Amino acid sequence: MAIAADFLTPADLQKISNLQVLARLVVEGFCSGLHTSPHKGFSVEFREHRQYVTGDEIRRLDWKVYGKTDRLYIREYEEETNLRATLLVDVSGSMAYAGKNISKYSYAVHLAACLSYLMLRQQDSVGLVTFDQKVRQYIPPRSRPSHLRVLLDALQQTKTGGETELAKVFHQLVPKIHRRGLLIILSDCFGNVPELLSALAHFRHAHHEIIIFQIWDRDELDFPFRQWTRFDSLEMEEDKRLIDPVHLKSVYMESLEKFRADLKAGCHRHRIDLVPMTTDIPYAEALAYYLARRKKQI
Amino acid sequence: MNFLNIILLGGIVAASIPLIIHLFHKSHFQIIRWGAMHLLESLQRTQKRRLRLEQLLLLLVRCLIPAILALCMARPVLTGMRTLLGAAKTSVVVVLDNSYSMEVGAAERTTFVQARDSAGRIIHDLARGSELSVILMGGLPRPLLDEPTFNTERATRELGKLQTGYGAADVPASLEMAVSTLGKMHEAHREMIVLSDFQKISWAESEDVERARVANLIKNMPVKPLVMFIHTGQEDKNNVSVQSLDFSRFLLGVNQPFQVRAHLKNHGSSRYSSMRVFFRVDGTEKSVAQIELGPNESGQVLFTHTFDKAGSHVISVDTDVPDALKSDNVLLAAVPVWDKLPVLLVNGNPGRGPLEGETDFLEIALQPYNATKGSLADLITTRVVDQHHVDAHTVKDVRVVILANVQQLQDHQIKALEDFVRGGGGLMIFPGNRIDISWYNSRLSADGKGLLPRKFSTIEGGPEDNDPHAAILGQHQEHPAFQLFNDPRNGDLSTATIRLWYKLVEKQGTAKTNSGEFVMARLNTGDPFMIEKKYGEGSVIICSTPCSADWSNLPLRPFYLPLMQQLVTYLAAKFDPPRNIQVGLPLIAALPAALDGKTMELTDPGGKKHKLTAKNQGGRALLNFDDTRIPGLYLLELPDKSLIHFVVNTSRSESNLAQLTADEIKTAAKPFEATVVKSMDEYRQMEQRRRYGREIWRPLLWALLGLIFVELLLEQRVGGIKR
Repeated sequence: MAIAADFLTPADLQKISNLQVLARLVVEGFCSGLHTSPHKGFSVEFREHRQYVTGDEIRRLDWKVYGKTDRLYIREYEEETNLRATLLVDVSGSMAYAGKNISKYSYAVHLAACLSYLMLRQQDSVGLVTFDQKVRQYIPPRSRPSHLRVLLDALQQTKTGGETELAKVFHQLVPKIHRRGLLIILSDCFGNVPELLSALAHFRHAHHEIIIFQIWDRDELDFPFRQWTRFDSLEMEEDKRLIDPVHLKSVYMESLEKFRADLKAGCHRHRIDLVPMTTDIPYAEALAYYLARRKKQI
Repeated sequence: MNFLNIILLGGIVAASIPLIIHLFHKSHFQIIRWGAMHLLESLQRTQKRRLRLEQLLLLLVRCLIPAILALCMARPVLTGMRTLLGAAKTSVVVVLDNSYSMEVGAAERTTFVQARDSAGRIIHDLARGSELSVILMGGLPRPLLDEPTFNTERATRELGKLQTGYGAADVPASLEMAVSTLGKMHEAHREMIVLSDFQKISWAESEDVERARVANLIKNMPVKPLVMFIHTGQEDKNNVSVQSLDFSRFLLGVNQPFQVRAHLKNHGSSRYSSMRVFFRVDGTEKSVAQIELGPNESGQVLFTHTFDKAGSHVISVDTDVPDALKSDNVLLAAVPVWDKLPVLLVNGNPGRGPLEGETDFLEIALQPYNATKGSLADLITTRVVDQHHVDAHTVKDVRVVILANVQQLQDHQIKALEDFVRGGGGLMIFPGNRIDISWYNSRLSADGKGLLPRKFSTIEGGPEDNDPHAAILGQHQEHPAFQLFNDPRNGDLSTATIRLWYKLVEKQGTAKTNSGEFVMARLNTGDPFMIEKKYGEGSVIICSTPCSADWSNLPLRPFYLPLMQQLVTYLAAKFDPPRNIQVGLPLIAALPAALDGKTMELTDPGGKKHKLTAKNQGGRALLNFDDTRIPGLYLLELPDKSLIHFVVNTSRSESNLAQLTADEIKTAAKPFEATVVKSMDEYRQMEQRRRYGREIWRPLLWALLGLIFVELLLEQRVGGIKR
C-alpha cells in the first residue's frame, strides 16, 4: 500500500525541518508497503505492546490483552541484533553544492536520518561519524530507540565546511570502529581515488562491510552550464576558475567518466557497494537498497 | 576598389559583434560555488590550449562573416587601379562594315544584321549626352550622319534603315575617316569601335602600310582614343561568284548577234559538279548553262544573244548555287542597243572610178551587209559628204565623223567639230596626199590645245617596192579597239604593208599639254600608227596613213573591216557615258538636248526614287547622280516613259570570304593598340568593367557561404558536440 511519502521527492520533504518527523514519514510509509515484516530475530525479553497492523503475524497477537480490552495488540520483544551499522556522513565543503534541488549535504543528512530511524526500528545498532578533513563527531553505535534522538540531534547540528580528505579520515577511523560491522558512507567521494580506495581497503581489512551512497548533484553529472562561469571552490576560498562550459563540456564529461569508472572499478575490486545517488532520487530507493543488502547479509 | 552602396559598407562594423559577444561573455560570467573542482582541472588546461588556436580561429571566422556580408551588400567593384568612367560622356566613332561580304548568313541573321544590331546596342548603351558618329565602310567610306551627333535616337533610327550590299570595304580609308571624325569631336574619352567580319581581302597584309599610317595618325592624336575591334559573324568560305562579264562588241545593234562571256570563280573548298548558270535579258531567262567548278577553280560560260529591239536593256548572269553569299551570285550589265549608228564620212578626195574615192573602202568596211545586199542589218549607217558640207547641222545627229584626206576646213567647221567632240562625239582623222600640213599643224593642233593629237611631220617610206616599208607592230595590244586582234583568229595586223606614212611628232617642249594622249598602235619603225586623244567628253583618233589603198594595202587585208568597225564603235561608245560603273563613281546620263531642264526620276536598287534635273552641256542634256554606293540596277525614267538602265558594280574581291584568324586579327590590331573583342557580350562586359568596374559580390557571397560552413565545422570541433 502506497502512501503519500512515496511520491514525495527529497525537495518536497525539505520543508519538513524536523528530522524525526521526516524520518518517520519516510520509513513508516516505506515499511508499510512491505509484505514481509522487517522484524526478524528471536525474542529474549518483552519490550512493549503495539497495536496490530495488517501484515503482522497472527500468532504474535497477545490474546490476554485482547481478552481484557477487546483490542488487538502485538507483543513485541527486544530483539537481539548482530548488525552494528555506522553512518559516515561527509560534511566537507563540496557537499554544500546545491543545484536546482536540495544540497548534497541536506540530502546526506536526510538520508542518514531515515537510515538511522529504519535501522533503529529494526533493533540494529547505529552509530554516526561526521567528518570533513578530520572527524567532527563520533557517536558509537547503540540500538536503543532513544539513541535515535541523539543521532538526529547530532545530524541537525552539523555544518559543512573544510576540505574533503576521505582517505586520511578513514585511516583515523579504522581503530575507532573496532567491532566489525556495516559502514554506510554518505559522501560525494571527491578526492584522490587511489588514496580513497586504499583507505577503504583498510576498512575492509578490518572486516567491515561497506556501502557507499555516492551523492551527486544532477549538475555535476550533466554539466548544463551555457555561459562563461567562474567556478568558486566550496572548500578553498582562493580556488576560482573561469571556464567556458559550452566548449569544454566534452572534456568535463571525459574526466567525469574517468573518475566514476576508476571509483567503480576500485570499489568492485574491494567488494564495496557503490550506489550513486542524485539529490532528486527519493530516499526510499536508498532505503530499499539498504534493506536488500541487509537481507543478503543475514 | 569602389563600392556601389558605400553606406552599407558601414555594416562592416558588425564584424566587431562576435568579438564584443566574446568579450561580454568573458566579462559577464556567472559565479557558481562548485564542489567538483578536481574535475575542472583538465578543463582549464584544455581551455588554455584551445583558446589560443581554435577559438581564436572560430572568433576570426565569426568576425569575418558579418564583415563579408557587409562587403557583399556594399557591392564592391574592382577597378584595377584605374579611374572609372562611370556615366561620363564619351565621343564614339563606330566603324561599321557594310560591305557585301557582310551578307553572309541566314536571311534574318546575316553578319551585317548582327553587326548593325551590335552597333545599335553600343549606341544604346552610351552615356547620356555622348557624342556619336557612325562610319560605313562599304563602297566608299562615308558617315551615316553628316556630322557627329548627340542625338542617339536619330542615329539608331538611321542605323535601322541601313541595308547591306554596299561595295567592298576600304579599310584604311574608313579608319582614316574615323580618325578625322574623332579629331573633330569634343569629349575627353574617345572610342573607336570597328565592327567587321575581318575579311582577309579587306584586311590584307598588302594594306599593312596604309593601316600603319592610320595607326600612326591615332598615335599622334592629342587625345588618344580607345580602339576596339569587334569581330562579327562566322567564317563560311563556300562561295561562288560571277566575277565579270565580257562582251564581244563595244556597241550592240538590233539583230546583231553578240556574245557574253561570264567568268565564275569558286572561292571555297567545295566542289560544285552541276552548277546551273542562267542568262537573263531584261529579267527573262534566255538560256541556261551547266558548269563544274572544283575547289578554288575558275570557269567561263559563253552566252549568245541577239536583241531585236533597240533601247536600253539589262542582262544578268546568275547561278543558283547554295553558297554562303548570295549577292555575288549574280552580275548585271546594262546594255544599250542601238538601232543605228550614224557615221559621217568626209571625203577629201572623191575618185571617179569604183574604190578610187578616199572613203570607198571605209564605207564598205563599215556597212558590209549593205554593200553586199546581205540579209543581215548593219549597225553603222554612213553618209559621205565633201569637206564643204561639214557644219554644225551635219554633225548634229552622227556619232562619229571621219575626215579622210581632207585638205583643210573653215573656222566655223572646226568649231562645229570641236563642239561635237567636246560633247562626246568621236573624230577620226586619216591623212592623205591632199592634206595641208601647215593648216593641220597650226589650226587643228593649236599647240596641242586643238583636236589634233600630234603634228604631221615628214612623209616616211617611199612608193617603190625597194623603198623602206613599214608594218603594224604585232605586239600585245592594250587599246580596247585593238584588243580583238590579240586573238590571231581575228586577223594579223602585221601582214599589212605600209609604203608611205606621216611621222607624227610632238611639238618641242610641250610634252605636258599632250596629257590624255595614247599611242594605240605603232609601226615596226617605232613611229606611232594610231594615236587617241581625249577631247572633252569625246575622243580624237589620228592615223599616220590614209584609209584608202593609195599608200598601203591596209584596205585589202582581212583585218581592215573588223578594225574599222572596232574603231568606229569604240569612238561611238564614247559618245555615251558608261552605263556600267563602279561603286561610288558618279552616274551620268547623256540625253538629247530637248530634255534640258526637265526633271526625271531615278530609282536606285533599294527602290528609293531620286528626282534629277538635266543640265545642258556640250549640246546635250546631262544628268548627274553621285550617290552610287549601293551596287545594283538603277533605272532612269525619261519623260516619254522609256527607261535607261544603269548598273553599278562592285569589286568582286570580297567574294573570297576567308577571314582573318584570331591571331591575325590580333596582329592587325597591334599597330592600333586595339582591343580585340570576340562577341558583343564580351564587349558589354568589358565596357561595363571599364565604366563601372568588375563587381565581386558573387565570389564574396560564395566565400561567405564557405565561412558559414567552416564556422559550423569549427563550432562542432571546438564545442565538442558529438552526436
